[in-house]
Amino acid sequence: MASTGPQQSLKRQDSSTTREEDQLIITPLGAGNEVGRSCVYMSYKGKTVMFDCGIHLAYSGMAALPYFDEIDPSTIDVLLITHFHLDHAASLPYFLEKTTFRGRVFMTYPTKAIYKLLLTDYVKVSKVSVEDMLYNEQDINRSMDKIEVIDFHQTVEVNGIRFWCYTAGHVLGAAMFMVDIAGVRVLYTGDYSREEDRHLRAAETPQFSPDICIIESTYGVQLHQPRNVREKRFTDVIHSTISEGGRVLIPVFALGRAQELLLILDEYWSNHPELHNIPIYYASPLAKRCLTVYETYIHSMNDWIRTEHAAKSNPFIFKHISPIKSIENFKDVGPSVVMASPGGLQSGFSRQLFDMWCSDRKNACVIPGFLVEGTLAKTIINEPKEVTLMNGLSAPLNMQVHYISFSAHADSAQTSAFLEELLPCNIILVHGEANEMGRLKQKLISQFADRNIKIFNPKNCQSVEMYFNSQKMAKTIGRLGEKTPGVGETVGGLLVKKGFTYQIMAPDDLHIFSQLSSTNITQGVTIPYSGAFSVLNHRLKQIYESVESSMDEESGTPTLQVHNRVTVKRDSEKHISLHWISDPVSDMVSDSIVALVLNISREIPKVVVESESIKTEEENEKKVEKVVCALLVSLFGNVTSKENGKLVISVDGNVAELDKQTGDVESENEGLKERVSTAFQRIQSAVKPIPPSTS
Amino acid sequence: MGTSVQVTPLCGVFNENPLSYLVSIDGFNFLIDCGWNDLFDPTLLQPLSKVAATIDAVLLSYSDTLHLGALPYAMKQFGLSAPVYATEPVYRLGLLTMYDQYLSRKQVSEFDLFTLDDIDSAFQKVTSLTYSQNHHLSGKGEGIVIAPHVAGHLLGGTVWKITKDGEDVIYAVDLNHRKERHLNGTVLSSFVRPAVLITDAYNALNNQPSRRGDKEKEFGETLKKTLGAGGNVLLPVDTAGRVLELILILEQYWSDKSLNYPIFFLTYVASSMIDYVKSFLEWMSDSIAKSFEQNRENPFLLKHVTFFINKSELDNAPDGPKVVITSMASLEVGFSHDIFVEWASDPRNLVLFTERGQFATLARILQADPPPKAVKVTMSKRVPLVGEELIAYEEEQNRLKKEEALKAALIKEEEESKALHGADINASDPMVIDVSKTHASHDGRILFPGANALRVAGTRGGGYRDILMDGFSPSSTSVAPMFPFYDNTSEWDDFGEVINPDNYVIKDQDMDETGMLVGGNFDGKFDEGSASLILDTKPSKVVQNELTVQVKCSLIYMDFEGRSDGRSIKTILSHVAPLKLVLVHGSAEATEHLKQHCLKHVCPHVYAPHIEETIDVTSDLCAYKVQLSEKLMSNVHFKKLGDYEVAWVDAEVGKTDSGMLSLLPCSAAAPMHKSVLVGDLKMADFKQFLGSKGIQVEFAGGALRCGEYVTIRKVGDASQKGGASGPQQILIEGPLCEDYYKIRDYLYSQFFLL
Repeated sequence: MASTGPQQSLKRQDSSTTREEDQLIITPLGAGNEVGRSCVYMSYKGKTVMFDCGIHLAYSGMAALPYFDEIDPSTIDVLLITHFHLDHAASLPYFLEKTTFRGRVFMTYPTKAIYKLLLTDYVKVSKVSVEDMLYNEQDINRSMDKIEVIDFHQTVEVNGIRFWCYTAGHVLGAAMFMVDIAGVRVLYTGDYSREEDRHLRAAETPQFSPDICIIESTYGVQLHQPRNVREKRFTDVIHSTISEGGRVLIPVFALGRAQELLLILDEYWSNHPELHNIPIYYASPLAKRCLTVYETYIHSMNDWIRTEHAAKSNPFIFKHISPIKSIENFKDVGPSVVMASPGGLQSGFSRQLFDMWCSDRKNACVIPGFLVEGTLAKTIINEPKEVTLMNGLSAPLNMQVHYISFSAHADSAQTSAFLEELLPCNIILVHGEANEMGRLKQKLISQFADRNIKIFNPKNCQSVEMYFNSQKMAKTIGRLGEKTPGVGETVGGLLVKKGFTYQIMAPDDLHIFSQLSSTNITQGVTIPYSGAFSVLNHRLKQIYESVESSMDEESGTPTLQVHNRVTVKRDSEKHISLHWISDPVSDMVSDSIVALVLNISREIPKVVVESESIKTEEENEKKVEKVVCALLVSLFGNVTSKENGKLVISVDGNVAELDKQTGDVESENEGLKERVSTAFQRIQSAVKPIPPSTS
Repeated sequence: MGTSVQVTPLCGVFNENPLSYLVSIDGFNFLIDCGWNDLFDPTLLQPLSKVAATIDAVLLSYSDTLHLGALPYAMKQFGLSAPVYATEPVYRLGLLTMYDQYLSRKQVSEFDLFTLDDIDSAFQKVTSLTYSQNHHLSGKGEGIVIAPHVAGHLLGGTVWKITKDGEDVIYAVDLNHRKERHLNGTVLSSFVRPAVLITDAYNALNNQPSRRGDKEKEFGETLKKTLGAGGNVLLPVDTAGRVLELILILEQYWSDKSLNYPIFFLTYVASSMIDYVKSFLEWMSDSIAKSFEQNRENPFLLKHVTFFINKSELDNAPDGPKVVITSMASLEVGFSHDIFVEWASDPRNLVLFTERGQFATLARILQADPPPKAVKVTMSKRVPLVGEELIAYEEEQNRLKKEEALKAALIKEEEESKALHGADINASDPMVIDVSKTHASHDGRILFPGANALRVAGTRGGGYRDILMDGFSPSSTSVAPMFPFYDNTSEWDDFGEVINPDNYVIKDQDMDETGMLVGGNFDGKFDEGSASLILDTKPSKVVQNELTVQVKCSLIYMDFEGRSDGRSIKTILSHVAPLKLVLVHGSAEATEHLKQHCLKHVCPHVYAPHIEETIDVTSDLCAYKVQLSEKLMSNVHFKKLGDYEVAWVDAEVGKTDSGMLSLLPCSAAAPMHKSVLVGDLKMADFKQFLGSKGIQVEFAGGALRCGEYVTIRKVGDASQKGGASGPQQILIEGPLCEDYYKIRDYLYSQFFLL
């Protein structure tokens, strides 16, 4: 994967001190320098999150999908969907059912409810060949079972990834996701709007400033007109057109902004009784079915609609707007206002009406949404002389075309203000046409010139790499934490990691502070032995430094304690038994006792003479030296001895000198020095005799 | 270094009184729950009144009176002014519950402990949170995070988790671990080892053996039998809590059996309650959420249940057997009281209690075994004034109005003249001047139309306040406690009733809100019908008469309280295994029982404080923070065990540039440490494992016999997970043979050696 300019310098500068797991990668798989198929991949510390899973409306079939082949879907832990729009959610059934993705998917309650309706409709409406179908209705139904819901502000933790969401405005149920992995916070805004409208709340400002903000840039440096001006233009255009006997076509995206426009129209009609004979049609059977969803999740909307709902009837039950199923049911007699989907005039009802009405000068087309590149809506905004109809013929474009943006995306001013409040260290722009995005980037660069904020606008599949040197903090608790140690003291205990939190504790506290428990295994082995117990005692004392004899209180049989670890007990005339608590050292001691007992009748131990013992000590030392050398060779390969008793170890051209007596290591290379010294310490402790007892 | 935690019960320990506890965390005072009972006995709030002003935040866990009933009163009378946190359903339904309580009371008495406005202004302080939302407190509570979690029992019911410095204090009462029709079970068992757990002992002695399905079937059949025999069924319920579950059960049963007996749901707030509930689907059970997502089916679009907000609607309903669901559950006041009195004498009728009545209420008396043959009740009714009374009242009103008009005029005049002369003005009537001076602060606003009667009613009510507060206690001779009735003792002088100008000042502020309320602009909407009842400016009075009701109808109690039974509570507690446990709310017997149980099986620190007894549950946990250096971590090899990763570290303490302690690798050889086997052996699993390795295994006398000779057994009591017990003990025994070592290796393989 490519890396854009600024990051490379960043990488070079940090590469010596950072390790791979401190690298955070963000890759747009869609919506990088384009609008549509939102999909952003992010990975940090072995955790992977994907935001949104949309399709590109201007393409069909596989071409509309984000670049899923760039990633391994099976590695993704969490997939977060911001809202129900097709360009944010429509490749989800494909991703869930046709790829190796096995992670968990989250969206808000309203999103999930509308998602199903919208996609089912999308599958029905999109007229593509069966091979080109990405998925069918069954896939959507199956995907519903896999989708989990999250409420606004609810914190969810999956595999150590913590995330929660904020209200984003835009459409009902739209969310901005904040993801926290090991203390690094990433905010993904999805589509958001900071302006409260008739039914939605404005996007919230998160409580915490994120380290990275992945933000939409749909409107680039454009500014929206104030809401009241916009609404007035909208109603004025419609009013004047119909009063001159024309027809008004409003191509809209079936859900979301359409509800806002309907609220405006219904209110305008209520206030203008003279218009009551002009019908408004809303050609979306979907919207009717979604009404219950809008009704139910009224608490996700703003206060105005809630009071309206509380005081009167449901504002989504319109008085002046009639639903209409299809073009067949539509009687085109006289002036009317028709809202129809799709918003881009690609096909469907809105296109059919457009074809019928486009050559009449009296008619008007009001485009209220964002213009997606490659759609007819985008084409006619430039007022071409002629347009191509669906049947392939050309027709003159005489109808008036108005573009009044009602799409609830943040404009330049909102974006600036939002970022000014958040002050993230890194800003990644997505979801915007390349030019608009470039301009916004320039504007933001100058806005944040004096602050250390980096701004990126990666293309699809272009990764942004960042490094976060996260400090690992541990909490020492319980018995170990009773006294805070001074510098230079040693601390030993269990380091327990859960998610990204570390705790150090004494083994005995393990079951108190975690769900883990420690276990003691007591072993008891019976061995046939018919000799005298005192012989055994004598033999053991010759081999082990510490052998204590006592009496078992219950049975009155004699016992011996070897090294305070293993108890030898006389069970009967013919049996003795060994008892000890499992632990590698005790296991070893017990093994040697077993060997001794088994051989006791065969061998009489040699009488050891003092002088010989000194000799053996020397021999022992030699043996130890040999073993140490052998082990070092097996670890490092090239080990040679120098005259001064030092060992020279060379690995890949790095040389280290080891003093066998003191264990001091000298080397130019820090890493090697450390490894050699650790290895030597471990070898030393392995070849030394076991201390009589460990405390 | 542990976070200091103190718990002081203010109400509801060693008995079943309402719940109210003071939990102080590093000096930040939380009032958790603020309950009152259906009798509204102010003496219960005595301890709260002393500390109310020092409270920094209020947390509410359920929407019923027992958990939040005292909130309006405490805000008004005790100077409680802290922000309140609750889930959205607790907030909305709590508000409706309080409206219902108030309206029910107002119907039968000159209830004046609080007004609708007090309820509104108290609930305006609520910040609503969603489940699992980590809310960071600021200011004095900096560093404290509060989060509500699913508790079951009632819609929006909350287990509160308060976290500071990684230590959790959990408040979890009235839990239900079982999934119900409209609610999910509690998530309490997902918390492990909190520093402090505060829970109730209410159900500790109550074990319910029957399953949900059987119980619901029995419930349905009981109703069907009564209705079939021509009787009516009365279900006394709470306003907005358990009633939801009952409605769903009835809906389902009626559909399944195609019954067409009418079901009426009658409370002052019935329809707005259902309206709210319809939009709270995301707070309900997974199955409800799922059916809505898939088919957009809202279970609270009811087919068989009709709502009424007015008893006359019920009276107009056609005769014949019917089911009436109505508040209050205690039968003390509300529609349930009146209907009970009407229906009790007919042996065909059935009163079915679905929850235990509150202590010393009519419901509790009727639930006694055997039930009383007759009970004394007070029937009270608000009737409009007629005849002479009305004339007298109107004259009084007119006189007051004139007086006020005069005052207002005088004030105006006075102000004008002040502006003109800046000197005193000599008025003809000295009394009026006196009053006008006290009224100067709120000039002419007193004349708001429509508000007069209300204000006057308030003034008149003022006369009773003392009596109600001090004189109210259940008399030892009466069967049921009742409100004493006194004549209006207010003083009169030559100019009419002596009025306290202070009443005007407060009421005047309230009036503005009342105005809003009528306009429908306020948040908690409630039914217009009931609004008209209360905002009715028609003069009225309360008439009371006492009568004895022969209880001939059948009385049945079936448990639909939606609380975990004693056994499950114990299981949950031993799973959660808090370091310290505080027991509240429950009869003395139950509390003691649970305490003994927990001491034995849960943890060694179990407290059951008495009212106003402050116990210190600061954890004796010591802790310090260290930084883990990169060098150290590169040498650590974690072993993965479920959610955890474990490793042994030996490190030397150093300091970072910022003065933080940090752990560096040891410069010298690390001292030997006693090795630790980490892991939890389940005998049954191990048996299977050995079986899969081709070893013959069987359980014999509590031990696992492996092969011919080797036995493995667990020693010691492993059921107690809390602080007292040590590591798990396993004993492996056998003769010296190859099998022994083989099996030992298999046993070792179940653990991580560190």
